[in-house]
Amino acid sequence: MTAPPDAASGTIYDIGYRHYTGPRLGRRGAITAVIGSALRAAFGLGRSGRSKIIPWGAVILAVLPAFVAIAVRVLAGEILEVTTYETYLWDIGSLLPIFLAAQAPELVVNDIRHHVLPLYFSRPMSRLDYVGAKLAALSLAMLALTLAPVLLLFAGKVLAAQDVVGALGDEIGSLPGIVGNGVMHAVVLAAIGLAISCLAGRRAYAAGAVLALFLIGGVIGAILSEVGGTLADIAPFTNPLTILDGAREWLFGGSAPESPVGVSNVPLPIYGLATLLMLALSSAILFVRYRRITA
Amino acid sequence: MSTALIRTTGLTKRYPGGVTALDGLTVEIGEGVVGLVGANGAGKSTLIKILLGLLPQTDGNATVLDLDTATQGARIRELVGYMPEHDCLPPDVSATEFVSHMARVSGLPAGAARERTADVLRHVGLYEERYRQIGGYSTGMKQRVKLAQALVHDPRILFADEPTNGLDPAGRDEMLGLIERIGRDFGITTIVASHLLGEIERIATWLVAIDAGRLLRTAPLASFTERTGQLLVETDDDAAPLAERLAAGGFTASADGRLAIIELADAPGDEHAVYDAVRDAAVAMDVALVRIEHRRHQLEDLFRDGTDDRAA
Repeated sequence: MTAPPDAASGTIYDIGYRHYTGPRLGRRGAITAVIGSALRAAFGLGRSGRSKIIPWGAVILAVLPAFVAIAVRVLAGEILEVTTYETYLWDIGSLLPIFLAAQAPELVVNDIRHHVLPLYFSRPMSRLDYVGAKLAALSLAMLALTLAPVLLLFAGKVLAAQDVVGALGDEIGSLPGIVGNGVMHAVVLAAIGLAISCLAGRRAYAAGAVLALFLIGGVIGAILSEVGGTLADIAPFTNPLTILDGAREWLFGGSAPESPVGVSNVPLPIYGLATLLMLALSSAILFVRYRRITA
Repeated sequence: MSTALIRTTGLTKRYPGGVTALDGLTVEIGEGVVGLVGANGAGKSTLIKILLGLLPQTDGNATVLDLDTATQGARIRELVGYMPEHDCLPPDVSATEFVSHMARVSGLPAGAARERTADVLRHVGLYEERYRQIGGYSTGMKQRVKLAQALVHDPRILFADEPTNGLDPAGRDEMLGLIERIGRDFGITTIVASHLLGEIERIATWLVAIDAGRLLRTAPLASFTERTGQLLVETDDDAAPLAERLAAGGFTASADGRLAIIELADAPGDEHAVYDAVRDAAVAMDVALVRIEHRRHQLEDLFRDGTDDRAA
């Protein structure tokens, strides 16, 4: 087993330019690549430790109630209900805007600000493909907050029970609501976050605008709710999270005690309509914004 | 130019607002390093964007690699590379990450994307610095990254829009050298858009000249700079007396400052007789000669309004 003399001396040859003859995955490959890199960006992967703090902090805080609920259940049985499937997202409510405000701009602002888009559009993907891929990626990322913790709570409730099969039978009915509500929150919030971000010139402005929408909307909603009367009726519509909570209640039932939805007399289907409107408006903003960007 | 890679017929682009960027452009472009020359606003960038399928034309049609730009843009964009004129790089990622991501967006599988990224960055001359964030790069390094992302998927055709923009003279030389290598050694047909004729002259094998959205001329580079049939004689003083003396001797000669211009076709006798006559006249008038040469067409002549130098 003697190595050839060239290998032993470690000579490096300039082999010149090599053509690529392997597979080309075309549009599908392009979309997959954008989704993959956007998902990494949403969780700060491959970036500095500092950019991981908010997304992972939010994810950890979001699953915490599920762990506490499971622990309480194991220790105290069914006497004390810490959180429910229905109220979970309302309880961790403020984490959703924080994650969204921090991560949505990461996905879109730099590509616009630094004129990277022509490089994407001169590849086998359309503008719509690009926007769709970003929306899909951020929606998937949001599921880490809107679906994963509730699923964890579900799994905990089932596995902590004495009779696992029986508990599964009891709880399985909640699963469509858990998944449906998680997906609805994730997609609508992702669309709102991206629509605001694509209009902002810098990531910080985008983050501020997203936070402002939810925080100011939330504060106004709480005040209107206290005032009562007609104002309390419209109170839920000042904050996307309350609208989503109303839509959840309409679709899957069960009310969150502190939500302004309970105080309002507006029929529940209106919340569903408002949710669709938010999604439509956000999509329209994204569509128009990206069509206008000159390549 | 046996097989045309790019064909346009009556290609017209009018922007909303009435600006006509391309006006019935009909041209065929074959292999090699092709210079796309024209003043700023002549329609070079618009033509490239239509060929990439990024911009719809108002009228006419265009094919790239026999694919229609209006309907098969995605397929075309899989097979061509585009180096835009303007800045297009995010500052907070490394060249390796960015180019490899762009390779994947071009449709390459992850492993191939990594391999080709390493290859291509080496070819454009980025080594250790490729792991640093692009934000800290010099203009020259950024231009190399822009070129690398356009090459990483091994395109059949490379479109480079003003690739020497913002570079110092040494950087220009290196960038032009790279593009020449890509066209000649890598076998990738390269369309270089530039408003600087001097640069195109050095690397292009074929020239497409456009002006105000219309084709001015398309031909091998050599034919743009062929001899004009005139002899230029530069003297150290006003050349008018010399020209008069030669004219008196039966030559068709005129003067332009310190230059005497002699028509070789009209001269009695062969070329050597002309040289002899110039020498004798110079000696007789005690004029110092600076240089004697055949006048060639200059690329700049293309863009001179109305007048044709050959008729002068």
